[in-house]
Amino acid sequence: MGLARTLAVRAATLVILLFIVLFVISFALAGPASKILKDEIMMEAKSIIMSLMLHGHYNSTQIQQLQSQIITQLENAYGLNKPPAIRTLYIMYNMVVFNWGYSYFPSEYGNVGGGKVVDIILSALPGTILLDTFGILLSAFIGIEIGLRSALKYGSRSDRAVMYYAALSNGIPQWWLGIVMLLVFSFYLAQIHAPIYFPTGGIIGPKYYGLWLTNPIKVFMIPQALLDLLWHFTLPLITVLIINVGGWAYFARTVVLNISQEDFVTFAKIKGLPENHIVNRYILRPAAPSILTSIFITIPFIIFGGFLVTEMVFKWWGLGYVYNIAIVGSPVPDLPVVVALTYASTLLYIVIIFIMEIVYIMLDPRLRE
Amino acid sequence: MAKRQREFRILGMTPGEIAKEFFSSSTGKVAATLFIILVVVSIYALVVLPPNFASVWNNLKYWQLNPQYAPPAWIDSIIGPVYSPQLYINNYTYVVQQSNGVTYITITFTVDFKYDKPWNEIFIVVNNPAIYSMAQPPVLSMTVYRPDGSVLSLGPLPISRRVTILGVSSEVISQVNLFYYDKYHITGIVPTGSSATPYIFYTIDNGKLTPLKGTYNFRLVFYVFSQNSSSVINKKDLEIVFQGQIYGLMGTDNEGHDLWLGLLAGFPIDLAVGLVSALIIVVIAIIIGIVAGFYGGLVDEALMRLTDFVILLPAFPLLIVFSVLFRWSIWDAVLFLAIVSWGASARIIRAMIMQIRSAQYIESAVIAGASRMWILRNHILPQIIPYVLYLLVTNVPGAILTLAAINFLGLAGSEYPTWGMLLYYAEEFGALTSGYWWWVIPPGLLVAFVAVVFILTAMASEPVVNPRLRYG
Repeated sequence: MGLARTLAVRAATLVILLFIVLFVISFALAGPASKILKDEIMMEAKSIIMSLMLHGHYNSTQIQQLQSQIITQLENAYGLNKPPAIRTLYIMYNMVVFNWGYSYFPSEYGNVGGGKVVDIILSALPGTILLDTFGILLSAFIGIEIGLRSALKYGSRSDRAVMYYAALSNGIPQWWLGIVMLLVFSFYLAQIHAPIYFPTGGIIGPKYYGLWLTNPIKVFMIPQALLDLLWHFTLPLITVLIINVGGWAYFARTVVLNISQEDFVTFAKIKGLPENHIVNRYILRPAAPSILTSIFITIPFIIFGGFLVTEMVFKWWGLGYVYNIAIVGSPVPDLPVVVALTYASTLLYIVIIFIMEIVYIMLDPRLRE
Repeated sequence: MAKRQREFRILGMTPGEIAKEFFSSSTGKVAATLFIILVVVSIYALVVLPPNFASVWNNLKYWQLNPQYAPPAWIDSIIGPVYSPQLYINNYTYVVQQSNGVTYITITFTVDFKYDKPWNEIFIVVNNPAIYSMAQPPVLSMTVYRPDGSVLSLGPLPISRRVTILGVSSEVISQVNLFYYDKYHITGIVPTGSSATPYIFYTIDNGKLTPLKGTYNFRLVFYVFSQNSSSVINKKDLEIVFQGQIYGLMGTDNEGHDLWLGLLAGFPIDLAVGLVSALIIVVIAIIIGIVAGFYGGLVDEALMRLTDFVILLPAFPLLIVFSVLFRWSIWDAVLFLAIVSWGASARIIRAMIMQIRSAQYIESAVIAGASRMWILRNHILPQIIPYVLYLLVTNVPGAILTLAAINFLGLAGSEYPTWGMLLYYAEEFGALTSGYWWWVIPPGLLVAFVAVVFILTAMASEPVVNPRLRYG
């Protein structure tokens, strides 16, 4: 009963958080930022007028009338004629029911769902999930292994090397390492006509790009497509691994060091138990839950920090890259996409946090009872 | 009392012991060395850069004489004389003659050309508006005596602007074309749309365009159609610049900005960004932590709920959306980042205070009639201050990295060039597809350097604040 209550409280907290984020974005969009919306409406009206002037025969007063008419209509459509409070609620409602409007995405990125923001974001999810899952799980696995070994050799040269590596990899921006990797393994390898070089970005070759956007599962069924995907996947994955392994190693090292100085470990040593017995039974076992839970807890923070920007560098069709296109890919920021992405990220983030907390509770025996 | 002052201890250690502990590890020594380097370079940057550097940086005219997309000048000393360097001619002979109402200014100099790639352009800069804004502008004619004995006459060119660009005038292009036609019977050697200047330094060898290495003599004659003393182009007003293909210590970008200066400017601003944001974070964390830990009860509960919220906020996506919506500057972003990042630090401070508060000596102090403020000042603050310093250091790299990332997206920019913004422009202008490594590698390395300095400092101070990690 207690468990259910804990989870319910947690879920309620997260939902409130989601609503606060939603409210803040909607309010910003409805109030202070409505000037941007007005600018965009002006631009849209101008482009409509331009095409009318090219194809129809209107005199200047008619054009004037038409323009003001179009602007009023668009403002009504965006709800700009309503007071900010109503507009905020209206935007919130549309967000919650996944009515995220239409983007003005440049068509060279593949016209997903006729520019519907929901479809664009949905098509970007598999890429993000693929990179993040593999990146985090693999780096955690390798990093913890390294961390354990280095903690058991505390103070040795290899332990120090791990420390420096951890410091370095925490300080290097992941996305910048991505740029360097692209420069070296894509640009320079291609320049010296190396037998193998990596693509300059993208998630998959143009041949299968359409398929990936519509049905990513099917890509895994076709061997050539899968190979192509792996070829594109190599550089982003290696980048992510280089950066993230160090952090995990340092973290695992600290946890193991803390435990190996507990009294019961000293006592086991005094008892004269064999070394690997002490390591396995007295150090690693108590360290395991705390390491595992921390992996789960930090996943959302990792995903919505460096990974987003790394996707942009590699033009990896995921949430981060869509952000990038929406911000710099068009002359004015693609507001519907940016706002919906923030909401979608928050939603995803909260779902992940909630799942992780369930796992956390399942792992920690004190919380289970 | 004085004796007790000398025995001042933090976390059971005297300041001397703390310093000893910090420097006992190699991490501490490395961190301290790097930190000193960082501070020295930042001060150097502040001294070297002019106070109005932001407006200088954004004034495109200031950089127009520099080559664009030029690698650093030192690559020639590695791969041999391949690219011609930027040349500022100031060692020239200068003769003024006046007759029949015309002033003749004759300038001669020699240039040694030993590179595979010749100069992009030759600029004649006259820094005196009275000269180039005359009703009948002065005229320049140029004669080039090439190493193979041939002579190339260029001009006349009107000097009607501060900067006269030699190779783009149609006069010069047709003269160079004619020169190649007379000598080698090749028509249209200068491709349309490009400058004629490089072709001054070429010859035709076996039907192929090859650089003609050797000493070039230049003779420039300015005709000023007036005989006043004010019509003389003074030596100090005249600059002749050969735009090279390599430039400076760190090369240039798409606008010809000297990247060395841009990188230097990044030091103070990145340090300021990191420190200001860490400072705000720590101040908020101390206030929240002390209030929550000290008052307890409902206040504590409410503040801890708030802290949970703040920790859970997806800071980066929110930072993106607000930067887009409100066109935030870098300082707005710093403030926002600080306001959403204090959660973890506040939790640590609160936990420490809770622990200290339940100690026996606090109870004794309360019994002895000590006020809350007295306990706070005498028992709690001295104990948490080293931790606060530690938190300050740990919060700096996060802020620097996040700000670099948001700048890399082209958001939250500043007038001053930051390393993140340099990388944004590098990405925008095809540094990756054209291999402009000098534009991409240094800014990222510097971001990493500053972050690593603070991370190492934090790591080295960990044994101080966490006694379990002390060696031995």
